[in-house]
Amino acid sequence: MAFLEVRDLRKYFPVRRGLLGRTVGWIRAVDGVSLTLDEGETLGLVGESGCGKSTLVQTILFLERPTSGEIRFLDRRVTERDVRELRRRIQVVFQDPYTSLPPRMRVADIVADPLRIHGHADEATITAKVRALLQEVGLPWDRRHQYPFQFSGGQRQRIGIARALAIDPSLVLADEAVSALDVSVQAQILNLFRDLQERHHLTYIFVSHDLGVVRYMSRRIAVMYVGKIVELAPSEDLSARPLHPYTRALLSAVPSLERRRERIRLRGEPPKPTDPPSGCAFHPRCPIAQAICARDVPELREWLPGRYAACHFALAEGPGADAAAPRTAQGGAP
Amino acid sequence: MSAPDARASAGRRLTVFLLARKSTLAGLALFAVVTLAAAFAPVLSPYDPLEQDLNRVLLPPAWADGGSAAHPLGTDPLGRDLASRMLWGARLSLLISVASVLLGGGLGFIVGIVTGYFGGWLDAVLMRIGDVQLAFPFVLLAIAVLGVSPERTPAQLIGVLGLTTWIVYARVVRSRVLSEREKDYVRAARALGASSARVLLRYVLPNVWQVAPVIGMLYLGFFVIVESLLSFLALGLTPPTPSWGSILADGRQFMMVTPWMPIFPGLAILLTVLSINLVADGMADYFDPKLMKGYAPRHPLPPRMAIASDKVLAVRDLTTVFRLGAGVLTAVNRVSFELGSGQVLGIVGESGSGKSVLALSIIQLLDAPGAVTEGEIVFLGKDLARVSNAEMTGLRGRRIGMIFQNAGSSLNPVLTVGYQLVETLRQHLRLNSEAARTKAREALEMVGIGDPDRVLRAYPFQLSGGMQQRVMIALAMSVQPALLIADEPTTALDVTTQAQLLERLDELRRELGTSVIFITHDIALLADFADVVMVMYAGQVCEIGPRGRVIREPRHPYTQGLLNSVSRVRAPGTNRLSAIPGDPPDPMHPSTGCPFAPRCAYAMAVCREVNPARTGVGPGHEAACHLLTSTPEAVAGGGTS
Repeated sequence: MAFLEVRDLRKYFPVRRGLLGRTVGWIRAVDGVSLTLDEGETLGLVGESGCGKSTLVQTILFLERPTSGEIRFLDRRVTERDVRELRRRIQVVFQDPYTSLPPRMRVADIVADPLRIHGHADEATITAKVRALLQEVGLPWDRRHQYPFQFSGGQRQRIGIARALAIDPSLVLADEAVSALDVSVQAQILNLFRDLQERHHLTYIFVSHDLGVVRYMSRRIAVMYVGKIVELAPSEDLSARPLHPYTRALLSAVPSLERRRERIRLRGEPPKPTDPPSGCAFHPRCPIAQAICARDVPELREWLPGRYAACHFALAEGPGADAAAPRTAQGGAP
Repeated sequence: MSAPDARASAGRRLTVFLLARKSTLAGLALFAVVTLAAAFAPVLSPYDPLEQDLNRVLLPPAWADGGSAAHPLGTDPLGRDLASRMLWGARLSLLISVASVLLGGGLGFIVGIVTGYFGGWLDAVLMRIGDVQLAFPFVLLAIAVLGVSPERTPAQLIGVLGLTTWIVYARVVRSRVLSEREKDYVRAARALGASSARVLLRYVLPNVWQVAPVIGMLYLGFFVIVESLLSFLALGLTPPTPSWGSILADGRQFMMVTPWMPIFPGLAILLTVLSINLVADGMADYFDPKLMKGYAPRHPLPPRMAIASDKVLAVRDLTTVFRLGAGVLTAVNRVSFELGSGQVLGIVGESGSGKSVLALSIIQLLDAPGAVTEGEIVFLGKDLARVSNAEMTGLRGRRIGMIFQNAGSSLNPVLTVGYQLVETLRQHLRLNSEAARTKAREALEMVGIGDPDRVLRAYPFQLSGGMQQRVMIALAMSVQPALLIADEPTTALDVTTQAQLLERLDELRRELGTSVIFITHDIALLADFADVVMVMYAGQVCEIGPRGRVIREPRHPYTQGLLNSVSRVRAPGTNRLSAIPGDPPDPMHPSTGCPFAPRCAYAMAVCREVNPARTGVGPGHEAACHLLTSTPEAVAGGGTS
């Protein structure tokens, strides 16, 4: 039984122009995404800004109404009517710890509010629960009456995590949850996510533009480009031998402490989502594009066991196909 | 900190604010006097304001010839006591104004909240009604409503004043709600399953209400004037009800005989409105402290002989402080480094490490209240901390270029890229427009823009973030500066764009022989690029040295921690990250001793007391850590703690 299943999900935003707000086109933010998630696993979702990864997260929670497609939770199709129940089982941790917390609410109230919303009326129980949550994410209990601005970025993200866990969700969507943090703090928060997963048997969708972060957190990784999943594979396989040329470019662009590798230099910039290229959306920038790529949209196919790619030439040896050889850590302790 | 403490700190903030803002304090005091006078008018008035005494008409005030202490301000044409009428006038004036503000503000606030949050047809209808009302002349409406009724009561006035102003509150509140509604914390509340009412009341409302009292205060002052004006035009309260406006009208009628009479209501109106406006001004700043940010002109340090240097840039003991209300914040603390011709210095540090303030100190663009207080910044033989403002302006943009993280806000949004580039080139290189245009095209080609003509014609908002940053680099490099300061130039960009841009920047600075200071939070970006790496923490240099040595043989525990967290997260198959515990230091509360000591696994007793000095640990390689100067026993003893 699939824990969460997303079938051919689409979310289009109308582009309106003129006085009357005539719809002149559509932004295909999420354009036919299908995913399956097992209980207790972490699926990484990686892509660059505007690829639709955040919209996908919002649509799964019905924060954006899907244009079409299906979301199934524990083998039951979720509709608009189940939203409240859905939001009790699925929670989000947002990117920006500066805007994702209500600025004029005290920490204790921020964490307690989900409990109140879902009808835990007994204040004594709520206080006990808040205390346990704050302790769990590593925040001192005697700071519970302070406001978000009195905390550092890392601490605020801990508050956001405590809020998300308050109603014991089984699935947590982390939308760029560590991107705004300093590197030294990023590691703390990533470790916290892992500890919590173990302790509460959580399932994660971990969204980030940083392939390194996603790789550390996830068992499987989905790569998104212009509203579509272009590659889906187990973490190690994706790193060792990416099948899609976009994944290869992404891997080679991750800054590294090692000596300069042969970089795959992409031409141009990501296309505008209002006006995606014909055929494969990546073809204008792709180093191995052929005539067919401008004509036919490649389907996400299983090329090797458990490894999906949407590319006409997924198994071709492209330039830089081995660009992402494993690297070792640097800088030992004294 | 517990709850009463938080409340006490809010009270303290208000006290500090008021003590610093004498004008607000004066306004409050004056307004309190007027309010008290109005509230206690029945007690304070020596006479009934309506009581006529035709034997004592138009008496002068007590201090003038013929005045008597019985009527301190004299009497009016019907022999009524002016002091009493002034006090009662204040009472009615304030009553009507306050009630009108509450009516208009309350209505507008509710409409603004509802239309802003729910939108839809209700929003469209209400906002269009508001538009029509705004276009309708107020005086016409006042005449239409007030002019036709023989007996005008305060309620009618309140209705006219209140109901014609709701739209102003509604619009401002609506736009605030619209912007808050899209914020992540509101999304988070919805994701938690909160009902619309709850989201609105508990999440949105606490962050938008502050605008309403400020508008209300401004309207209060306006209504005091309008109420008098209506009375003056005989559209206000029906005589003989006392009003400042009707006293003014009487005064005008008998101006030749009693020239003092219009002065009283005139002064009363002036002082009341002034006090209200001073309070409104203070309120606006109190609710939104960002508005108070001032601009302080740059003051060069007193001249002294700079130490000669063959380097492009030699910075010695540079110290930059911010003098804030709560104390002095040292953002950059005795930083020293040198940069040779054509070299790249990479500065790495986390938020609050002082790396950006350092850059702004070098180019002398600090915002108030920041100032360089010590040290030298010797650039091509000139000390930038000491050159005149005119000379600095000549160097900025010409000999020293700078690019920032957010290229979009660094470009002028209303001018085309071409205009901005051509103007810069004409100004700095004294080219004619033809030559400048050719050079601008070359500059864009130089940063890898394939279709320079299209980009020249474009406005900044029509370009992507990566393209905007290319334009910024073209702008800075086209005049071939000796030094380029790049502050997180690729942080806002996607990794693939970042890679393209860095490669291009590296080629370009090699071609032109430009020295570069590259500031980043990501030490991995420096691995390809920098000749020298400088690591900053809490405003200080904790390690500096050749790239290879710092990255491969880091000597400072903070550098080691930083490298560990970066490399591990990017290496596949890592089991668990070794994180640096704790949080970056709070610059408002610096610790004594080494600033990294509270997070350092090797901290010893001495680390908490003495700030370590930089010591040489290899060729051109220095670090500031007690571990490097202590005896091995002390290190072993400290390492276990």
